[in-house]
Amino acid sequence: MKKLVIAPALFAEAGICLIAGLLLGFWLAPVDASSMGYSQKIFYYHAPIAETALVAFGVSFVAAIAYLRSGDLKWDRLSYVSVRLGLLFSILVMLTGMIWGKAAWGTWWDWEPRLTTFLLVCFLYAAYWVLRSVVDEEQRRATYAAVFAIIAFIDVPVTFFATRFLPAGMHPTVITTGGTGMPGSMFVSFFISMVGMTLLLAALTRRDLAIEKLKDRVADLKTTIGG
Amino acid sequence: MTIEEGAKFVASAYAVILAVLVIYYFMSARRVSALERDVQLLEDEANRRQGPAGGAGAG
Repeated sequence: MKKLVIAPALFAEAGICLIAGLLLGFWLAPVDASSMGYSQKIFYYHAPIAETALVAFGVSFVAAIAYLRSGDLKWDRLSYVSVRLGLLFSILVMLTGMIWGKAAWGTWWDWEPRLTTFLLVCFLYAAYWVLRSVVDEEQRRATYAAVFAIIAFIDVPVTFFATRFLPAGMHPTVITTGGTGMPGSMFVSFFISMVGMTLLLAALTRRDLAIEKLKDRVADLKTTIGG
Repeated sequence: MTIEEGAKFVASAYAVILAVLVIYYFMSARRVSALERDVQLLEDEANRRQGPAGGAGAG
């Protein structure tokens, strides 16, 4: 059997960008002058991970629409894999955000708009997971999951714009229509990390899609042998 | 907060990220290996079952 080598170049490129972003963030970018101080260095991965999680949920949304239009299960697989990776990145955002919150604000958690809506996103996509596990028939499961993925995505732009429309919370808005509000070296570090996280998402998506295809192949072979 | 105090939080955050991503990477790598092995075994079994039937048909 042909050995599967899944996206090694993407993983390598992601690794290079993430290491470069981190090194630049620590050695080139200045220490933040605000009350956040040195803990602001968490930002160089925290913010790109958050954006990547939202991108993954966006991919899931588009794939869900594509599935409902075509009925092709490859779109269901992409939607499912994207939700799984979106949740993985969301867990990382929550964990790093809590650590950063404790350092910068003195509290692990605050019920402010960005944190609350992000937690809601996590719960919604966790429910997507539960929904898939309780429906056995493949096409029906894919249809229910696609409809749920589309509905759940409504909270994603709400989360993204929460700090812009409801600025009362503690969470800062980094990128606005007026610019990034960051010195150039900070922005370069952030941007390279952002590219790295996006490449990592692409690499993990390809690998997880390969896993889903292998699962389908195993199921087909079992049916063939059993029949 | 001093740099030393902040550094502890920064190190903790990056350690969490590294740990979660590395664990996920190796878990999915193990999953790929296990599934490839299953596919190989099942293909061998399917070929073995088809073998005698194919031989009888040819003869």
